[in-house]
This record gives sequence, C-alpha cells and structure tokens, in this order.
Amino acid sequence: MSNAAVLHSNIGTMHDDHSAHHEHHHQETFINKYVFSQDHKMIAKQFLITGMVWALIGGFLSVLFRMQLGFPEESFPWLEDLLGKWWAAGGRITAQGYYALVTTHGTVLVFFVLTAGLSGTFANFLIPLQIGARDMASPFMNMLSYWFFFAAGVIMLASIFVQTGPFSGGWTAYPPLSALGDASPGSKTGMDMWIISMALFVVSSLLGGLNYIATILNMRTKGMSMTRMPLTIWALLFTAILGVLSFPVLLSGFILLIFDRNFGTSFYLSDIFLASTNTALPNEGGSAILFQHLFWFLGHPEVYIIMLPAMGMVSEIISINSRKPIFGYLAMVGSLFAIATLAFLVWAHHMFVTGLNPFLGSIFALLTLLIALPSSIKVFNWLTTLWRGNIRLTPGMLFAIGFVSMFISGGLTGIWVGNATLDIHLHDTYFVIAHFHLVMGVASMFGMFAGVYHWFPKMYGRHMNNTLAYIHFWITLIGAYLIFWPMHYQGLAGMPRRYYDYSIWESFKQFSELNRFISIVVFITFIAQLLFLINFFYSIWKGRKATNLNPYGANTLEWTTPINPGHGNWPGEIPEVHRWAYDYGKDGKDFITQTTPVGEEESTEHH
Amino acid sequence: MEYSTNSHGDYSAIKKEIWKVTLILSLLTIIELVFGFWIYAQPTMGEGLKWTLKGLIIILMLSKAFYIVAYFMHLKHELRTFIMTIILPLISFVWIIFAFLYDGNSFKDLRNGFDRHHKAQSKVKAVKPAATHNNTKKQEHGH
Amino acid sequence: MSTVATAQPKLWAGGKSPFNVEYGKVMMWYFLMSDTFTFAAFLIAYGTVRFSANSWPDPNEVFNTFPFAPEGVHTPLVFVSIMTFILIVSSVTMVLAVQAGHHNDKKAVVKNLILTIIGGALFLGCQAWEWTHLYHEGAWWGKNPFLNADGTAPTVNFTNFFFTITGFHGFHVFTGVIINIIMLIMTLNNTFEKRGHYLMIEKAGLYWHFVDLVWVFVFTCFYLI
Repeated sequence: MSNAAVLHSNIGTMHDDHSAHHEHHHQETFINKYVFSQDHKMIAKQFLITGMVWALIGGFLSVLFRMQLGFPEESFPWLEDLLGKWWAAGGRITAQGYYALVTTHGTVLVFFVLTAGLSGTFANFLIPLQIGARDMASPFMNMLSYWFFFAAGVIMLASIFVQTGPFSGGWTAYPPLSALGDASPGSKTGMDMWIISMALFVVSSLLGGLNYIATILNMRTKGMSMTRMPLTIWALLFTAILGVLSFPVLLSGFILLIFDRNFGTSFYLSDIFLASTNTALPNEGGSAILFQHLFWFLGHPEVYIIMLPAMGMVSEIISINSRKPIFGYLAMVGSLFAIATLAFLVWAHHMFVTGLNPFLGSIFALLTLLIALPSSIKVFNWLTTLWRGNIRLTPGMLFAIGFVSMFISGGLTGIWVGNATLDIHLHDTYFVIAHFHLVMGVASMFGMFAGVYHWFPKMYGRHMNNTLAYIHFWITLIGAYLIFWPMHYQGLAGMPRRYYDYSIWESFKQFSELNRFISIVVFITFIAQLLFLINFFYSIWKGRKATNLNPYGANTLEWTTPINPGHGNWPGEIPEVHRWAYDYGKDGKDFITQTTPVGEEESTEHH
Repeated sequence: MEYSTNSHGDYSAIKKEIWKVTLILSLLTIIELVFGFWIYAQPTMGEGLKWTLKGLIIILMLSKAFYIVAYFMHLKHELRTFIMTIILPLISFVWIIFAFLYDGNSFKDLRNGFDRHHKAQSKVKAVKPAATHNNTKKQEHGH
Repeated sequence: MSTVATAQPKLWAGGKSPFNVEYGKVMMWYFLMSDTFTFAAFLIAYGTVRFSANSWPDPNEVFNTFPFAPEGVHTPLVFVSIMTFILIVSSVTMVLAVQAGHHNDKKAVVKNLILTIIGGALFLGCQAWEWTHLYHEGAWWGKNPFLNADGTAPTVNFTNFFFTITGFHGFHVFTGVIINIIMLIMTLNNTFEKRGHYLMIEKAGLYWHFVDLVWVFVFTCFYLI
C-alpha cells in the first residue's frame, strides 16, 4: 500500500479522481458546493464572509457606543426607533445598552472576526495551496470547524435579541458579574448564551487547529521541507499550536463558571453582598482571581493567535512586492517561535493590579518585556526587506506596510504597560485601549485586508478595484491613527475605560471635544469600510477577470494552480518543490518559482 | 504499510513487555498507597515527613505517567522529533503550576492579613454534622 | 525505531510524514495534548483554591467506605485503589487489543476490546456507587458535610472540585467506552479486515490510555495528598 493511500485513507480515492479526470467527476450540487462544502477553499470563503458580516456588526456596535461617548448630551430619536427602548430609550444609548455594546463589540471582534475570520480564512485557504496539498488532512473536520463557528455565531447573534439583553460584563467575562444572574440584566440569559456560544467556538477552533497542524506537518509536497515553507505557513502553524494548547484552559474556566452560575458552587465566589437583591450570598472560599488566571491563560495567547497570521501574510506580501527575498528568514521563524513560547508564560501581566503577588509580578513583567526582542527582530526584518526594494504599491502591499506601522505604534506602548509599576497608573485606562487596538486590533485588521486584496485573484479569479482600494486604505490608515492616537493622552490623564458618560466627571470634562472628534472619525472610518465591502462583493461577480496565472510574479505554489482551481487544487500531479519561497531578484532574474529546479550555475546563498 | 510503526520485536516479546509494565504500575501504585496509609495512620506526623511523603507520592505519580505514556501509548517507540513535540509544551507546566499555586498562597496570606474576621472565622472549630441524608437535612451544612 | 532509521535524513523533506505517523494519529496525539491542558487547568485550579484556603478536609476521612461494608468500619483508600486497578487492567487489555490489531488477529482484538469495555463499565459503576454514597452523606455541588482536617467548618470547594473533576473524568471514561463499543462493532463487521489495517483501534487505544493517565493524576491529587 502506498504512503499516500494510508495517509489519506478516507480521502484518497477522491484525490485520485481529481488527478485522473478533474473536470467532471462528482456531481456538485448547490448544497455540497456552497453550503456543506469540504473544499478548503470554499470553507475559507465561508469563514471570510461570515467574518466580514461579524466585522460589520461589531464595527456598527462601536459606532453606536461612540455616539454615546461623543455626544452624551444629545438624543437621536431615530436610535430608539431602530433599537428599541432597552437599548436607546429617548434616543440616547442606555447604560445597560452601552455595556452590552462594548462587551459584544469586544467578543465579536476578538473571537469571531480576528480569530475565525482571519486565521480561519487564511489557514484554510493558504495551507493546502502553499504547501502543495490537495486539501486539509481531514476535510470533514474542517467543514465541522466552520459549522461549529457558524452555530457559535448564531447563538451570539440571538443573545443580542433576548429580553434581558446580551452579556454586558466586558469581553473578559470576569466573575462575579458573569457568575451571578442577579448581578446585572445581561448576566441572565445573555450570559448563558454567551458562554454556550464561546464553548462552541472553542470546539470549532480546536477542530480547525488540529487539522492545520496535521496538514502542515504531514502533507507537504515533495521537496517542501520545513525551511522551504513560506512564512505564512510557519505563522499559521504557530497560531494553530497556540490555539490547541490555550483554548482548552478557557474551556475549563468556563465549565467552572457554568457550575458557579447554575449548580451552587463557589469556585470564583466569596464574600458577596448583592445590592440588586439586597442579600448576602452564602458562597465562600472561591477566588475571582482564579478565573482571571484561567481566562488570561487563553487571553494572552489569543492576541498572538490574532497577530501571527497577519505577521505571516505581511512577510509574504512585503517580500513579493519589494521583489526581494525576505530579510532573515530563519530569524523570522525563530522569532515566531519565541513569540509563541513566551505567549504561554506571560498571562498574568493583565492582572498586575488584582493583588497579584509582587514577586510573581516582577517575573511576569520580565517575561513580558522579553517579547520586545522577537517583535523588534520582525519589525527590523520587514523594514530591511523593504529597504532598497523595487517596491510595488499594490493595495495588499499598502495594507502590509500599514500593518508594520500600526504594529510599531502599538507595540512601543506595550513596553509601557508591560511594566508592573507603570501599569498601576495605566491599567484600565484609555491608554490600554489605544495600545491593544493599534497593536492587535487595527494591525491585524490591516493584515486581513492585505491578505484579502492580495489573494483575491486566487480566491475568485478576478481582481478588486484598485482605486477604491487606495481610497479605502488611506481613510482607514489616517482614521485609525486619529481615533487611537488621542486616546493615549486621555489614558495618561487617567481616563478610565468602560465608563458610560465622562461628561459628569470634572476631571474628564476637558476631553468632551476630543471625544466628539474621535467619534466623528469613527463614523467616517466605518463608512469607508463599506467601500471595501462594495469593492469585494462587486468584484466577485463583476471584477476584472484574472488572465495571468501568476499576477504578482510570486514564487509560491498557489500561483501554479489554475486561475479557478477545482477541489483538489492541481489538475495533474502536485508540483515538486526545489527551493525556498523567496528567490526574488536572484542571479538577475526577477523571480524563480519554488517549482524551478536549481540550475547548475546558480549561486548558492539560499536553498 | 509503512505506518504501522510497531513492527519492532515479535508478538510475544511485546506481550511480555506489556505485562512487565503492568507489574511496575501495580507496584508503584501499592507504594503510593502505603505512603497514603502512613500519612493517614499517623495524624501526629511531623510536617517535614508529611511533605516528604507527599513529594514522593508525586514522584511516583509522574513515573506512573511515564510508563503509561511511554509503553502503553507507545510514545517511546516513536521518532525522537515526535516525542519532542509532545514533551516540550509540557515543560511550560513547571512555570504555570508554580505561578498559579504561588499566587493562590499569596491570596491566602493577603486575605488573612487584611481580613481579620476571615482569619478568626477560619480558626473556629465546628461540630461535625451527623451523617444525614442529603435530601432531608440540606439546610444544616455549610454554615 | 530501527526500521525507520534509514529513512530519517529525508523525513522532513516533504512528500511524507516527518514522524512516520499517519495524520489521524498525529491529530489524536495533539488532541490529547489539548485535553491535557483542559485537565491540567482543572487540577491546577483545584490546587490554587486549596493553597488559598486556610484549611482543607482530609481525604482519608471522606473516602473511607466500601460497598456493603458494615457501619463504622473505616477502610480509607481501599475502594479507590480497586478503582485504580480496574482502570490499569483495562488499559492493559486495550494495549493487548491494539497489539493484536497490528498482527491482524481479529479474535484477540475482539476478546481484549470486550474486556476493556467491561473494565470501563466497572469503573463507571464504582464511580456511580461512590457518588451515590457521598450524596447520601450530604455531599454535592455546593454542599460539604466533611469538616476540615483541623476541625473547622467544612470548605465547600472540596466537594465542588471533587465532583466537577471526577465527573469530567468520568465523562471521558464514558466517551471512551462508547468509542470502544464502536470499535468492537466495526471489528465484528470486518471493517478493519477489509481496510487491511487496525490503525483506528490504535487511536481509540491512545484515548483510552489517556483516560487512565488522567486518573493517575486525579487519584493522586484527590485521594493521596
């Protein structure tokens, strides 16, 4: 029995079909082509479009709460017509509505958009195409992964519409707000649904992650050694490892939370007097900080789950569009590894002010600041790749450079907040909001845009409109800086996050003009995102048709497939790989694809 | 059939190995139990000896885990690189366990230091409730 | 190891598994890694809460009975030792089933799988008895009748964690028994015979041993220290 047959014992036959007569084998019905598809490319598109829907919803939620923050004294009667009394009585976002909005915004953007939408999309799309595999190791599990994500989304969406509102205790779901139904309206049904939705999401990410790891390790095509893999694949591998090892800890934390909510335990509860019901609770002996430990044990790797795929794609796009090999390939891999390792060791730097033991705090601060090393290695390598490159400013390239810019701006403030002592002042202020939105929110969003603009021709066989893309880029870049840059100053002045109305605080009144300015920029930037959506959906059907197999002159394997690859990716044999992915401008040649055998007289600085 | 990795040794040799490991596991468990009984039977035992015994029990536990993973789960006969992908992430537990437990202990100290009522309460001897049926006398517990 | 050593230099060059392991087994191993973190999180949480409590019940006072034992007879650790041995023995029969599978010995596979299933069911039965017994003593989630070792008021998180973690482990045992039953049915239907290999039983075996492995830790953390 051949290797391949054992390797893919359940999909082997299907693949053989592909290589034999690709055009007309299994009857593709609408259902198994577009809905319950097991083709990794279709699943990637499902992840992408679901992610975009969630981005639209999550972004719109931020528009709503920025209306409250920017215009706390004004009322907009149409808001009540649109959202109802619970959310916007009298045309003003209510306090409970406000907290529901910020919570759902956080949850949706972190998990559904930047985890599922980003790594779900590009891991599915790029892994088989760039390593030279016909599909994922288990296409069926891959399909399940999407549908678990979809179910999680449905439940989260439904929670917005329940009578007592969605969960409103912050995306981190700290107890006791999340553990006691009587604590707030959102802690009732909304929290039940939130936790079910998140549990399904954990299952989805586990199914996906195991698949990505097994595929990358086991199913690389001939000649695709680990050190010949594009950096995207390395990044996605580490992303998957992070997810597989850290999400289960969150699940454990949630299981204990479910018991606290429903079965009278007190894992996280102790000494509580509940004002809303005027009762002292019998719970004794638990520790709310325990939940924070368990949560951040996922929560911190989670930010790298969000960041790493963007880093990988940006490395690839910058190298292609600078027509230069990536600078320091092994250093890039090494720094990804270092970031992934440190991600598991630094979780408690989110908890410096919980009463964390100062000795532990000092170790956590030390480990946290170590992350600056691999991060700056990456930044310098991106910059040196750009240096003296023959730069082509495609929309994908612009967003990739924008990513680097955001990553630097947000990353530098990480050195501030990573210090246990500075964090006493900065914790839970707008400084932190600015920091993490720039470094992981906007930056990863930019990585996602870069990926979509760059690989759109491979996804749909058409090009997106460049003019719209340029307008989209510049408004988004300037908008993001105008929104988040001023927040640093607000935070340094002590303005806490998650407050409903700053205008009633003497110390923060001075910021009312600035808050209004930020809100207006938010509205403009949000509308600019519609340009992207219009461009994306228009181009799927009406975009300029791709005629060139390899429109960017790239080396990687995905550009050796047909313009519209079928299930199985390559009509014939899977090509063999003879070199790494970054032979740009070598020996006077613009680019040498990975499938080109090494010539006799070729210089041998790289493999 | 390249992937049936267990072609090392013949059938009976493997069976022999399995029974040997079973014997080792049973022995380790019995030693664990002896230590457990020792701690139980001697309530006046000094703290030092008690913690030594508990430490030994943990070492025995880890060696049992080693035998199960290495022989029953066959990890010992996989390639070294594969073994490493399993072992390396587990090393992070050293720091994780230390940090969690250290902070738990620190939480106890902080609470005893700042909440004198809590400290006093936790020293009050309670009366052991008579063995009751759960469904009849549930109110009496936990106060 | 020796048989694959010759192929080693090219293992990572692509076109094959670098570990000489089929993808399903890779996935099962990494799933178990993931599950390790789930259980570790539970046990570490247990440790954290125990470290933050001023006093804790003595497990030997709590788990000191035996089915049909006369009132007043204290037999600490005996019952749980029996449970531990049942699980170890069922792990042995599982590994024998896997080995039989490697030699395409269907009869031995069936025999050992049945023994494993019986072992799993026995373990679940023991657990059910222990839970019922504790419930009748007044213990449950949120309720703890057992005084702390120093005679102070009972720490309720002792029972909370006990029921949650052994329950979660029991759920894994239950799943394992179901998986083994499916494997047994597939073996009896000659599914593996037709496929030419019993690799699927190997994966079920990995899961079953993992369940045993977790018990080693649960047993030590709850009953011994």
